[in-house]
Amino acid sequence: MGLVKAYLGLLATAALTVAVLGTVTVAVVPKALADDAEAQAKALKQVERELRQLRADRARDHRLIEKLERQLDQVQTQAGQIRTTNQQLQTSTQQLQNSNQQLQTKTDEELKQIQAQVAAGPSQPQLAKALGGYWGTHQFTLTGAAAGDFVYDRQAGQNTFALAFEPIMLYRLNDWLAFEGTFEAAFDPGGSGASFDAPVVTAQMFLNDYMELNLGIFDQPFGDWYEDQGPLWVNRFITAPLPFGVAALVPPSDIGAQLRGGYQWGGLGQDADYTVWAANGPSYDSALPQPVVGQELNGVTNTTINTNGKAYGARFRVYPFPLDSNFGRLELGASTYNGKWQNGLWLNAWDVDFAYHRGNLQARGEWMEAYRQMPQGSGPDNRQGWYFQAGYFLSGLRLPFLGRGINSYLSRLEPLVRYSGVNQRAVVADEIAATPSLGFNGSPSVFAPHAREVALGVDYWFAPSIVWQTEVDFELPRAGGTLYSFNGGSTPTASPVGATSNDQAILTQFAVGF
Amino acid sequence: MLGKRLRIILMLAMAVLTLSGAAMAQQESKAEKQKLFLDGARLWPVYCSQCHNARPGSQFSPEQWDIIMMHMRTQSNMPAKDARAIKEYLEGGL
Repeated sequence: MGLVKAYLGLLATAALTVAVLGTVTVAVVPKALADDAEAQAKALKQVERELRQLRADRARDHRLIEKLERQLDQVQTQAGQIRTTNQQLQTSTQQLQNSNQQLQTKTDEELKQIQAQVAAGPSQPQLAKALGGYWGTHQFTLTGAAAGDFVYDRQAGQNTFALAFEPIMLYRLNDWLAFEGTFEAAFDPGGSGASFDAPVVTAQMFLNDYMELNLGIFDQPFGDWYEDQGPLWVNRFITAPLPFGVAALVPPSDIGAQLRGGYQWGGLGQDADYTVWAANGPSYDSALPQPVVGQELNGVTNTTINTNGKAYGARFRVYPFPLDSNFGRLELGASTYNGKWQNGLWLNAWDVDFAYHRGNLQARGEWMEAYRQMPQGSGPDNRQGWYFQAGYFLSGLRLPFLGRGINSYLSRLEPLVRYSGVNQRAVVADEIAATPSLGFNGSPSVFAPHAREVALGVDYWFAPSIVWQTEVDFELPRAGGTLYSFNGGSTPTASPVGATSNDQAILTQFAVGF
Repeated sequence: MLGKRLRIILMLAMAVLTLSGAAMAQQESKAEKQKLFLDGARLWPVYCSQCHNARPGSQFSPEQWDIIMMHMRTQSNMPAKDARAIKEYLEGGL
């Protein structure tokens, strides 16, 4: 019974539970179902949002991927360009290394050449050009000559050294105007110091191809000597020929004006030239109380202003042979000189000259005469002078029995000979100054009324303008004349004088033309 | 229109003539210089040696030769044309 009851109780409980559950279910399930649907809708919306988000993310990621792919492509392209550039740079580097090597080699070679040039020193034209540039002007230049002498004269028993420096300053203003100044500084025996002089100071105006105006103190255009043979290294001898030395027939220089020029009248080398001039004129030794026959002309240093009238003259030269003739170069010339040396008293002179040069041979000579009108009571003072000289350059001489060394010395030698003389009626005792000096042998026999001189010489040429000259003079006066002597008085005494004794002198000179 | 063309043709012709004239003048100048140089080479040893040994062109610069040749033209009275030839030779011979 009890068990039935328990079973019944259980059944009741179960029925109750079912009832409750049913009730509950009926009451609760619809609500639960509604809640569930709402949740599902929310979830669905959430899913949809998430889906949209995912789609958006996917699209963004896709764009990002595309962008990254593009960037990757660009990077790859740039990498390729960099590789190409790198390759080019490597090639360029290699080329530069090669060029550098070549340049290094070339630089080394040039450096060696420059070092060799530096060691050798600049050449003469390079130095001259550099100096010209340094001075900043090419219109001024300095030439000239210098010389040192030793002179011995037997009759006077004197010997001495002498030194001279003769620069020529040239200034070119333009194509048609130039200036020249020749200056002399000499140390001669007997003086206390150097003597200075300016024998030539001129302005040269080239008017056209055929005419030049020359103003100033100029070498006398009389014969060839004064103008062309004066420079120390140009004169083949050391002394001047007698008519252009102490016994000059016309003044060696004057102050005035010249018109001069040259033209070609035939083939190449067939020229003619002229010089016409007017100047202050001659003057004679003003130390003498009165003029006498045979007195000396004033020298270069005594160009004076002569108020007695001007002097004038002309000189013409002609060259007959063309260069193509192979006859050599022949010059024929003639000169005149006319000038008052005192009121109404004239010095008239003329000269003919020649010069010839062919190969190693050179020869020249002149003949001149001067007529000096003297005051009443005195006979005319007429004089004659001449010289002839020749020289032969031994260049090319090869003596087979002598060695090459001796032959090379011989080929630099130039043997010379000269004969000169002066005729005049008288000499002045007060003017005889037998002191040797540069270019003068100091022989008293030169001061003779009829002086004659034979000069033998030999020149050794170190270079075209550097020469060592040696000269032996034989003074051989031919006849006597009159000797005037003032002896401190105002009137001269005249006495006959025979030919002075012969004499010998020797001179040696080292001359440089620069 | 025709006038404009004519002007252009004339201008071109003048330009061609001018250029060809300039070229010819340059050639003539060069030829003249060469002749001067050759004449100078022949005259230099002869004219200079008439009085003194001929000095080489390398002894002075061209600018110095300009001045020295003016001096030597005065000294020797040589024709101006020959002085120019010797100067050309001495300066060109450097």
